Amino acid sequence: MRYARVIMLSAVVAVGLSVIGPATAQTKREELVAQAAEKVDTARFKKPGPYTIGVSAGYLTNSWVVYALAHIKYEASLHPEIKEVVVTDAGFKPAKQVADIEDLINKKVDLIIYWPVDNKAIAGALQKAIDAGIPAVNTGGGFYYSPSTTSNAYIGQWDLGEKTARQLFKDMGGKGKIIAMLPIAGHSATVDQKAALDAVMKEFPGIELLSAEHGNWNRARSKQITENLLQRFPRIDGVFSPSGQMSAGLAEAFEEAGRLNEVVMSPADEYNGWLKWVDKNQKGGIITFPTKVGRDAVQLGLEILKGQPVERGRQVPSVVIPASEVGKYVRRDASDDTWANELPASWQPK
Amino acid sequence: MMAASVTRRAVAGPPILWVAALLLALAAALLPGFFSPDNLANVARQSAVLALLAIGQTFVVVAGLMDLSVGMLATLVLVLAADLMDGRAEATLAAVGLAVALGAGIGALTGVLNNALRINSLILTLGMLTILQGVTFIYTDQSLGAPSPAITWLANGELFGLPPSFLLVLVATGLAHVALHHTRFGVHLAAVGGAVQSARQAGIAVDHVVLVAFVISGLSAGLAGLLLLGRLGTGYPNAGVGLELDAIVAVVLGGTALAGGRGSVVASVAAAVVLGMVSNMLNLLEVSSFLQMVIKGGVVIVVILIGQIRPEVAR
Amino acid sequence: MSRPDEMAAAALPQAAVPQPRRARRIPEMLAIWLVLVALLVLAGVLSDAFLRPVYLGNIVRQAAPIGIAAVGVTLVMILGGVDLSIGATISLGAVVCAAVMAGEPANIAPAVVLACLAGAAVGTLNGALIAFTGVSPFILTLGTAITLYGVTQLITGGTAHGIVAPGFREAFNIRIGGVLPVLGLAFVGVAGLGLAVQRLTTFGRRLYLIGSNPATARLAGLPVRRTVLIAYALSGLFGGLGGLALLARSGVSGSLAASGYEFDVLAAVVLGGTTFEGGRGGIGGTVAGVLILFVAFNLVNVVGLPYHAQLVVKGAVIIAASALYRRMREARQA
Repeated sequence: MRYARVIMLSAVVAVGLSVIGPATAQTKREELVAQAAEKVDTARFKKPGPYTIGVSAGYLTNSWVVYALAHIKYEASLHPEIKEVVVTDAGFKPAKQVADIEDLINKKVDLIIYWPVDNKAIAGALQKAIDAGIPAVNTGGGFYYSPSTTSNAYIGQWDLGEKTARQLFKDMGGKGKIIAMLPIAGHSATVDQKAALDAVMKEFPGIELLSAEHGNWNRARSKQITENLLQRFPRIDGVFSPSGQMSAGLAEAFEEAGRLNEVVMSPADEYNGWLKWVDKNQKGGIITFPTKVGRDAVQLGLEILKGQPVERGRQVPSVVIPASEVGKYVRRDASDDTWANELPASWQPK
Repeated sequence: MMAASVTRRAVAGPPILWVAALLLALAAALLPGFFSPDNLANVARQSAVLALLAIGQTFVVVAGLMDLSVGMLATLVLVLAADLMDGRAEATLAAVGLAVALGAGIGALTGVLNNALRINSLILTLGMLTILQGVTFIYTDQSLGAPSPAITWLANGELFGLPPSFLLVLVATGLAHVALHHTRFGVHLAAVGGAVQSARQAGIAVDHVVLVAFVISGLSAGLAGLLLLGRLGTGYPNAGVGLELDAIVAVVLGGTALAGGRGSVVASVAAAVVLGMVSNMLNLLEVSSFLQMVIKGGVVIVVILIGQIRPEVAR
Repeated sequence: MSRPDEMAAAALPQAAVPQPRRARRIPEMLAIWLVLVALLVLAGVLSDAFLRPVYLGNIVRQAAPIGIAAVGVTLVMILGGVDLSIGATISLGAVVCAAVMAGEPANIAPAVVLACLAGAAVGTLNGALIAFTGVSPFILTLGTAITLYGVTQLITGGTAHGIVAPGFREAFNIRIGGVLPVLGLAFVGVAGLGLAVQRLTTFGRRLYLIGSNPATARLAGLPVRRTVLIAYALSGLFGGLGGLALLARSGVSGSLAASGYEFDVLAAVVLGGTTFEGGRGGIGGTVAGVLILFVAFNLVNVVGLPYHAQLVVKGAVIIAASALYRRMREARQA
């Protein structure tokens, strides 16, 4: 029954948060900063090494998380007290991720690093880990404020959405009709990006959102949806798409329709296929979504295991980089599906 | 003849039981942690949702049909029940009522459409799956609500040292076993699945039997949705994606032929548990998730091929 | 006790022998093309953009990956089989092609050949197991799909590490005369090839004979196993070609690139009038079915319904079309 109460509590917190909702970008940002700054007492998790780290991946078939995982493994290799990194993959199924976390608890790992299929859906399982003395560190895009997540090493989907929207609206001169390309419907990333977009739009009354679509982080799908949108809307002035994978497909559709000149592309993350496009067209630019956040997650986890006080969230913020500087990041000879990073060659995903 | 074949099948034991025995032996040798009470309870809880779906699917498959809509039906129930309960204890009964009514109702609708349109059940239920997914997403495109404490307990708690969801599966398996093997409905169902024309000529109310099979399938999907909600703690609108195929895999691994005419609920449930065991063992063995898929697919292919050979040897 | 599907076949009324059924196929195929034209007219009324040649070219090109794969699956379904591994096969084709190309134009030819071979190999394996063990194609190809996704993920490690050679995508995406995309043309060409196999070869005729009544076909001494094997091998081959088309269209070669496509392919084939029971339909209908699916999606989008409503429409269209075919057939038999 205790779990039930905790789950209820976290649900209440989450619902409360969503009710507060996107009042303005400013208040939401302040609220996130306050939550992330909260101190976490880690004394109860303190234990001597050697450590086994369990990674519960919500999914592994997306190149971004493959690179983030490579960073986790690389950072772990730098710490002799880390004996082993065990990885499970839920393949986008939340029930499987709940089972994976239970299996990791049973395996008596010392720390769980995870990225969720859905935050709320695995909160109960993570609480079991916490109750068993295993701290849980969320890593990747999103920050999740919940007693079942000890701390977050994150970039911030909300931050990404807000900065992308601001840059786009600035480039558009604060006026015009836009479409938005979001990830998977229902995914936490989608919810946060959309909320950030809505919040920033309140400050720019001249911007009209024609349609928000779900491209599932899939380049082919994004291209097809955009072809249909081009059919539907005779004029599109701007595109909100923080994901480079989707932006690459989207930009192709505009190009093939001969309508690239009418549109302002938002910056998007450092997916190499997008970087190649920016390099070639000198449009759009980059908003970083650094895969190195995986390294921060391991460092954060080690601090918790050593009983050092940590904050609820440690951010690797997104940075906007103009198209003119893309040359420093693009790898023209590499596959589209790679991510700009600073890992040593032997640690790059094969 | 039909009844005889059902019996022989049950006595000889489908290959899945041999696979289960082999896995348990392997686990004993390689994974001492597997047999800890905590881990066994985990496997039971992890398999319960699929086991419930497999029970319902067995009825439809014995009738020579298929129900692909159950994954999204379970999801729709999950989302609506989560919203209805929103964590409130007093809403538990209403949510159970909703799960039963919606599950049975959509099952009945599928059955009626199947009888009225007489199109292939696979394509009909694929259509239903797509519609239900659309409806779920129109209702919400993000996680909402929460199960009541009772539902959470059902999915994750303990009763006499056993997971309540496991006891629920046992009860459901018992009831389904009786319905399939010891009632006139069960005999008729097997007859319909074996040869629909002969069944009709023998005076069996084919449409009625098929309708009931879909209602049972829908009902089990409704309950599975509730249980899945308890597991997840939230109404996630993608929760049950792909469960229908897992359920069919479990049924077939249990030795029920997709052509219909015979089948065993016990074996389907055993197969669902075996799938859960395999996943748990591979996790404990730290096998990479990609290799896990290869192994899972390989197990499916090998077991069905063995199942394909066995009856011919027996004949 | 013989296999239930044989029993069911033997229980078919004698009126349902293959020959007359084949003759009845033509008006059905005409009907589906009429539906396509009607849909386009409706779309044209709602938005004049729909009747522009560039847009029509676009639709054909959008439909190419799924359409090309659907050509092969149609052959299998005429036989009364099904291929649920087609999505995984398309993904495999794209992955192999991109990986072999490795960014070098000189590698394009071997990449294309190897992608086709990989697809055909998967199909041949499916076909051999189905032909020689009599296992249910539904469950076998489902197992193949799971295995194959695992294998492609093992190869790729979760990222699409292949590099498309310069020139490959450009060549397919050129629009001849500014209108007709080469990829669309490739779809038409592949469909024509499939149609020729289905209509003009002994193999094609046998598909219908075996599909409508496997027991009779076996008694009549037709090479059932060989035909089954070849049909699935072709399904795999066309799946590999579908992978090439997907890579050309979108540049995507991840292991899950075409995950879920199997159901769109099935929907298209069934819309085209080919049934799960086999013995009916054909590639001509499938092509129209694919195009209807894509025009309908675009229409829903143009009207402004959200994506989720598209799902409802798609599901309803699949059920309604199947029911309509059933009615048409019964009306003709009566």
